[in-house]
Amino acid sequence: MSLPQAATADLPRDAALILAWQAGDEQAAAELVGRHARPLARFLAGAGAPEGDVDDLVQETFIRAFRSVDRFRGQCQFRTWLLTIGANVLRDFGRRAARRKMLPLDDGVRDATGDPHEHAEASEAEALLAAGLQQLPRLQREVFLLRAQQGLEYEEIAAALATTPGAARVHYHHAVRRLKEVVK
Amino acid sequence: MDGDARIESLAKRLGNEAAARLDVDATARKVVERLREQPARRALWIHQTWLRIAASLVIVVGGAVAIRHGQPARTDRAHDAHFVADDLRDLSTDELRDVLAGFDEMVGSSTVAVPEGSTDLRELDAHQLRAVLRSLEG
Repeated sequence: MSLPQAATADLPRDAALILAWQAGDEQAAAELVGRHARPLARFLAGAGAPEGDVDDLVQETFIRAFRSVDRFRGQCQFRTWLLTIGANVLRDFGRRAARRKMLPLDDGVRDATGDPHEHAEASEAEALLAAGLQQLPRLQREVFLLRAQQGLEYEEIAAALATTPGAARVHYHHAVRRLKEVVK
Repeated sequence: MDGDARIESLAKRLGNEAAARLDVDATARKVVERLREQPARRALWIHQTWLRIAASLVIVVGGAVAIRHGQPARTDRAHDAHFVADDLRDLSTDELRDVLAGFDEMVGSSTVAVPEGSTDLRELDAHQLRAVLRSLEG
């Protein structure tokens, strides 16, 4: 079942797709996954999701988001809201892993292109950054990733994390200062 | 490149490989399949939950009724320890005699436990009359 095109023509694409999904259109859900799955995977991997679990965590995040989409009030972009759900999914995953006495694994992010020497240095720096991110308080880590990795404005981050733009800015600067000490 | 810019540059590369490896179409397909399964599972969960709640209510209410019927009421026990004679404390000697005489007529004079040596209720003082009433209460 799809909404009439005229009813959704003026809405931003995500909002139109959400309405269509709420009306029972499975294709709309699939399109939302297609639009946001890769940025979500980047966010989860950057936040410390083990490489082999990113796929499952992406799925779980979308499932939770679609099941609770009635609570999305458009206070921020759909993608930003989705990323915050992803952060919760990752936190729950970490708790389960801790109960199973598994150590959280960092995603060994590597760039497969470029000069091998530069690549090795970059890989080492990225690994240090990833490890440094795990040492940050959760809010600092999420603000840092939303700002530096996803390129969001402080107002958008604040709306998603239920804080103020000023507080988000402070969290970001604390995070950068600590990460600079790690990645020297 | 200063420190802040370097950190931000590194952050932009974080997770790129994981994102590149993700099979988006397969992910979308799996998500839709799981969402399709959800309503049935949710309905089943609601059904099972209501059954559990109903069973719990039956156990609690049934248990409460059984306990209530299995024990004598608290008011009955209190009444067992209450003497009618205590209510007659404020009566004068003559009034007590009238009560006993009336009672005597009802149950028959042979059942009244008159203290030894007395033949007439009129010879008894208030204390003895109360003792007679207590003996009648058993």
